[in-house]
Amino acid sequence: MIWKDRYKLGVTLIDEQHQELFTRVSDFVEVLRSSVPWEQRVEKVNETLNFMKDYVVTHFHDEEKYQKQIGYPEFAAHKKIHNDMVKYVAEVASQYERDGYNEQLMQQFAGKLLAWLINHVASEDQKVADFVRKGVVEDE
Amino acid sequence: MNNPLYAPFFNATRDVFKLMLDLSNISDKPLLDKDVSAQDSKINIEIGIIGDLQGKVIYHFPKQTSLEMVKIMSGMEFSEIDDFVTSALGEIANIISGNVMSTLSVQKISCDILSPHILNETGDTTEINYEFESGMQICTDIGSVDLNIILNTK
Ligand SMILES: [Fe+2]
Repeated sequence: MIWKDRYKLGVTLIDEQHQELFTRVSDFVEVLRSSVPWEQRVEKVNETLNFMKDYVVTHFHDEEKYQKQIGYPEFAAHKKIHNDMVKYVAEVASQYERDGYNEQLMQQFAGKLLAWLINHVASEDQKVADFVRKGVVEDE
Repeated sequence: MNNPLYAPFFNATRDVFKLMLDLSNISDKPLLDKDVSAQDSKINIEIGIIGDLQGKVIYHFPKQTSLEMVKIMSGMEFSEIDDFVTSALGEIANIISGNVMSTLSVQKISCDILSPHILNETGDTTEINYEFESGMQICTDIGSVDLNIILNTK
């Protein structure tokens, strides 16, 4: 997963967290995609998955706190996007455990997560930066 | 025959490709039957549309274009279409379609989309007659993506 400087919002804490999030998702995808047999990488997959899951929650929480501080008008809608994602991650994680650590489910999950996160950081989170810069929320 | 969703889908696709994949050289042309190449395997993703407008849009991502897209996002090499690739492209189709719905809601047209559905076949055959059926080929530096927009305005 490739971090780009244009993703920066200009808020140090959030920018650092976004970069960390990209690193964690990259680690997860890298382990998941390696050519080692599934039985040999499942433990490492689970470990990186857990790191990433916790980090997503921490980051969303801090980002929401920041949005509240600056009086971001789209706070509720943005928080809902976060909540929906956390819910999706939790659902996948519990199904993954129930199914006894099935590789196919993880591959599907990681593909979606990759695209979702890039769009979220490159698009949704940028609206917050636009608001700070211009004092208005812009429609796409 | 002017499909009201043709322009919104082109604009949304162009914006998402630019934002997520850094593709800036993007153009469109109406899709004619002769343009549909059967040789290259494709990922076909259907997204249903419900509400004020009813129908579906089907995205056709050729194999090489798909692999290149996932490579741009992940920074990793992909050689085959698999669950990871299909799911990532399903999410891109979901994002584009969701953005179109947001644009429509500004115009007081209220629609929702259904979750991406992966089709095994090209999925262009519909039994029901729709008011609008248009195809669009979106050309980029990493290949072209075809969209079929099938719609009833009630
Ligand atoms: Fe966010």
